[in-house]
Amino acid sequence: MIRFENVSKTYKNGTPALKDISLDIEKGEFVFLVGASGSGKTTFLRLLLREELPDRGRILEAGRDISELSKWRVPYLRRNIGCVFQDFRLLPNKSVFENVAFALEVIGRPRSTIESQVPQILELVGLADKAKNVPGELSGGEQQRVAVARAFVNRPLILLADEPTGNLDPTNSESIMALLERINRTGTTVVMATHDKALVDRMRRRVIELDHGEMVRDQVRGVYGIDEPMEIR
Amino acid sequence: MRVYLRYAIKETLANLWRNRMMTIAAVLTVAVSLSLVGAALLLKQSAAQASAQWQQGTRVTVWMQPNASASQVANVKSQLATLPIVKDCVFNSQAQDYQEAKRILPQSEWSVLSVSNVPSSFRCVPTVPSDAFVVMSTFKNEPGVYNVTAPEQQIRQMNSAIRILQIVFLALAGVLLLSATVLILNTIRMAIFARRREVSVMKLVGATNWFIRIPYITEGFIQGLLGSLVAVLAVTALHTWYPLHNEFQLDTTALVGTNLVVLVVGVVIGSVGSGLAIRRFLDV
Repeated sequence: MIRFENVSKTYKNGTPALKDISLDIEKGEFVFLVGASGSGKTTFLRLLLREELPDRGRILEAGRDISELSKWRVPYLRRNIGCVFQDFRLLPNKSVFENVAFALEVIGRPRSTIESQVPQILELVGLADKAKNVPGELSGGEQQRVAVARAFVNRPLILLADEPTGNLDPTNSESIMALLERINRTGTTVVMATHDKALVDRMRRRVIELDHGEMVRDQVRGVYGIDEPMEIR
Repeated sequence: MRVYLRYAIKETLANLWRNRMMTIAAVLTVAVSLSLVGAALLLKQSAAQASAQWQQGTRVTVWMQPNASASQVANVKSQLATLPIVKDCVFNSQAQDYQEAKRILPQSEWSVLSVSNVPSSFRCVPTVPSDAFVVMSTFKNEPGVYNVTAPEQQIRQMNSAIRILQIVFLALAGVLLLSATVLILNTIRMAIFARRREVSVMKLVGATNWFIRIPYITEGFIQGLLGSLVAVLAVTALHTWYPLHNEFQLDTTALVGTNLVVLVVGVVIGSVGSGLAIRRFLDV
């Protein structure tokens, strides 16, 4: 589903963000991306969204080289990638329903699709009863669930999550993780950048660790820290 | 498509309403500047019309005294006939000039005239238009001559006055159009800024560039259009109550043409303003 071939990226100010990364992520995989701040996790995600282009190497998504994609096709690429962020990025003046509907509306989905899809996805994230509330009236965990609903309502092939539990307490983190797992079970590839050690250790999923732009670890059922026993892939 | 149309209309109207003060400022600036453009165009057309009318007719008229003797008339006539710079001359008797006065003057004025106090005249066409002034100076002090008039001269003076007025109008209009463009650009920038969250979410979920841009372009377009519609009203009013309207017989074609130019310029200004704003502030 995702393939990096010797990908390097250096920012204009000279700081290398990624150095010669090669990896494969299969369809339906759940991958944790770990590493200290500035290790290149965010660059990794930005490259997948084609917000940045690699300086060297190729990135393939669903078999297509995304660097060769012409500019006007980028939006169509992004329709296949859902995104969740630490700061939720909800629209404060729209209700929960409208926030999720917005994602369908702006890619030109007809009203009938919106009317049927949005309640369904709100049911999935457990917020059907809050459809009319605005984000300000929800807890952080609930807001993040709305964000997940918005990211997933278009049934993307890939879901990217950048520190989705970074602003949440353990209970709410738990429910977000359960939600992401559920989405993953439908066949969606999930890539999640995180600092949450406990979470990674418990989930025992594939862990890719970046350090100063280099991939220092790729572990099939990994844990967060490298000081623990590991099973090198 | 229908979904999008509804979305774009909704967004455009919401943006216009949210920025209504800026919108009003932009629309009024467009209106004032385009009214000036329209007025300048009308002036230009009336000047052209006036010149064309006069060029077909007499260029120099030698008016005799109403009481000039027959020999004085004959003298002037023979001089005009021998002068090489005069191509052609027609003599209008007092009776003929009286008839003409009756035709062109209002009743209150010609009713005080009688055939005997109306001058007879020679209507002459000089070989070269500028020779009209030589004819003027030659015959002005000839015995029996009352006056020599060359409408060309007056028209030229009027034309140069009109030309100056036109330049002033167009210069003002240019400055105002520039500020209108900047105002529209600024309104659109504010609209984009007010909706930056929406725009970033739209990019994230894969809205196409044009989907994001079009509401802002139509916003500028509508501002330009509203401004030029106000200007069209002003130009039409000016045409209807134009002080020189009757003399120059400006027809409706001139008005329609001017209004078309005003509309097109307004729409272009609006689109250019919003286009620039999008290029600079809406990075998609």
